[in-house]
Amino acid sequence: MFGKLNKENFEIAEAHCDAPCGVYDPAQARIEAESVLMLTKKILDLKRPEGDDEKAHKAYANTLARFIAIKEERAEMSKHHLLVLWTDYFKPDHLAKYPDLHEIFWKAAKLCSACKQEVSLQHAQELMDAIKRVHEMFWESKGKDVAWYTAS
Amino acid sequence: MQEELPHANWKHKLRLVFGWLTGFRVEGNSMKPTLEDGDSVFIEPANQFRAGDIVLTNHPFKKSVKILKRIESITLEGAYFLVGDNPTESTDSRSFGAIPAKEIIGKAVCRLK
Repeated sequence: MFGKLNKENFEIAEAHCDAPCGVYDPAQARIEAESVLMLTKKILDLKRPEGDDEKAHKAYANTLARFIAIKEERAEMSKHHLLVLWTDYFKPDHLAKYPDLHEIFWKAAKLCSACKQEVSLQHAQELMDAIKRVHEMFWESKGKDVAWYTAS
Repeated sequence: MQEELPHANWKHKLRLVFGWLTGFRVEGNSMKPTLEDGDSVFIEPANQFRAGDIVLTNHPFKKSVKILKRIESITLEGAYFLVGDNPTESTDSRSFGAIPAKEIIGKAVCRLK
């Protein structure tokens, strides 16, 4: 009967967010977007082989296919990390402070799609700029001064 | 100002032993500073609540999960808008909307460190 007082027998009442760790960081989106930017540059710089060397043409096709596949994947991952921040981390009280929050995320997510559809340095750079703005809002909302930096 | 929960006294403990209250262990930081991760709360079954009450409710999407939040307000339809006391580390009605009364299991009446 008095076992009911033993805390070990109590059921769990969860009091956390959907990411139980409560850990968010726009760096995840930024790293993926940096990959997109670098791959876009690599695709634009990649030269088609001259002549009829079959081996060289196959190597070119393989490299181009890999660049495109990874760019596609990284842009999707960047979009995923942005959507998690948008829908899980940012709350209505943040929106009051940053009235353009929805617009910034909406445009950033659209830019991720544009980077998949195109080989556009301009859009890849605009995606980085949008994530920089997310980085600023995020860290300001947490009361921390975290400088923007890139890995590449 | 968030209302504090009293510490469990002998009457609460007696009610727990007789099964009129149920003990739950808090997991997570969304109710800080009122309730810390690892604290325990005694829940009293109820069907009427007021704004400011800390309530235990079924998670709207994960039926096996019970969550602990505070009632911020009551909607015109009679549903409860729940928010964690630590809003930056809480997923609550701001994400999943107001919770109907039938999903709320009971009200926290005291805590045990």
